[in-house]
Amino acid sequence: MEFEVQDNQANNSIQGVINLQPQVNQVQAQQQEIPIKQTDLQVSSTLEESVAVTLLRDLRQIGVKLRCVLVPTMSSNNAKELRNWDLWGPLVFCLMLALTLSMSGNNDDGPGIFATIFVLIWVGSFVVTLNAQLLGGKVSFFQSVCVLGYCVFPINLGALFTLFFSFFYLKMFLVIGCFLWSTYSAVGFMKLLIPEQKRILALYPVILFYLFLSWFALIV
Amino acid sequence: MEIGVQKQTQEEKQVQPEQFNKLDDSGDKKSTGYCGFLTVEYYTPYFNVTETDVIQRIQATFLPFRPDFLNITKDNPDLWGPIWINATLIFLITAIANLRQIDQEKENQQFDVGYVPQATALLYIIAFGTPAILAIVMKILGVDLSFFQTICLYGYSMSTLLPITILCYFQNELFLWLIIVYGVGNSILFLIFNLKEELDKLQIQKKYIIIGIVVIMQLSLYLFYKLVFFSYVSEGKVEAKVASSDSKIPGN
Repeated sequence: MEFEVQDNQANNSIQGVINLQPQVNQVQAQQQEIPIKQTDLQVSSTLEESVAVTLLRDLRQIGVKLRCVLVPTMSSNNAKELRNWDLWGPLVFCLMLALTLSMSGNNDDGPGIFATIFVLIWVGSFVVTLNAQLLGGKVSFFQSVCVLGYCVFPINLGALFTLFFSFFYLKMFLVIGCFLWSTYSAVGFMKLLIPEQKRILALYPVILFYLFLSWFALIV
Repeated sequence: MEIGVQKQTQEEKQVQPEQFNKLDDSGDKKSTGYCGFLTVEYYTPYFNVTETDVIQRIQATFLPFRPDFLNITKDNPDLWGPIWINATLIFLITAIANLRQIDQEKENQQFDVGYVPQATALLYIIAFGTPAILAIVMKILGVDLSFFQTICLYGYSMSTLLPITILCYFQNELFLWLIIVYGVGNSILFLIFNLKEELDKLQIQKKYIIIGIVVIMQLSLYLFYKLVFFSYVSEGKVEAKVASSDSKIPGN
């Protein structure tokens, strides 16, 4: 694949690479070599790269954030990473959960369950974040929705596992474990942003949110 | 042309400081315009409670003979209670109804989750619509209770439904009716005792109008709750009865 050459500056290194098949490593290496006008370079190269590269980059970002959110070590790197919020991750996990639960063999009302879970996740995240803001927390709206969406991932795993096992108490044990993992991650993030006296008032809705989702994962 | 433009800008500059002074004098509410209630800042003063406050208010709802609640919340009505008590109720209804369905069917049970949207709509409309209507009526009749205080009062009165919902797990019909009667009594007493101070300032007829509205709304809430909630289980019972009667008929 070939790209058009745009500016006069820093052409030499780009031409040599862009004429080949675009690979993620080479594009990233090029972005590191040219400190000046790097943002322009990124814009032009992201517009002209292939779909596979874009998707891989987005998936890699989702993976990095997922690791930050779910391995609950409160380092400052985690906090910085989480400030670059994106809603792709929550959307992917929400859709996966809704699809898993609506397609499991145990119920008649597949579309209804899909709709209920989808609305529950997005409206629930919205309301929980609004609640934290109203209680005086200094939490940015989309950042909080992003973290709540990423923390749905363990419940996703729980729902997938319950598809394969039919023993009720094993399912219950797994789902409780996933619920505790989700809640611990989400609470670890939100705890830092709420004033001291109102902490439980802001964290209880988070617990209720994940409890509701885990209940769905167990029952359906 | 240029001179004319400069003169106008000077005149505008002279006018502008006066306008800024007017904005400062007119107070906070007017400067946000008519859409102030759509901002987050409008509702922040109503979330000014701590955990102990909330627990204290919920405890006050279970002791209706002491009208502590209005004294506690007069200066500080909160919206946290009404919203999240109802959310907890929706979760409890879902959980308890599903647990009831476990007992009747065998393996590969199908749990009905279709009533989650219905329960949500029902509870939130009642929790916020009823106090809205009551507040409008009270404003017309001259009671001095603000809109948010009424919402706060009603929202916390729904907390009597919390233990009732948990106890609805037991399937004895007499027991269920007993709990419902207790719930109706508790919440009506709670509401009336707390409104008593305000209502005593009115004439007797107006007082009874408001008390009548409160009683009717609570009765209809609990009846609706019982019949809608109970019907999800009675469907299963009706099917079992129909099946057993069908099996008996050919024998006869």
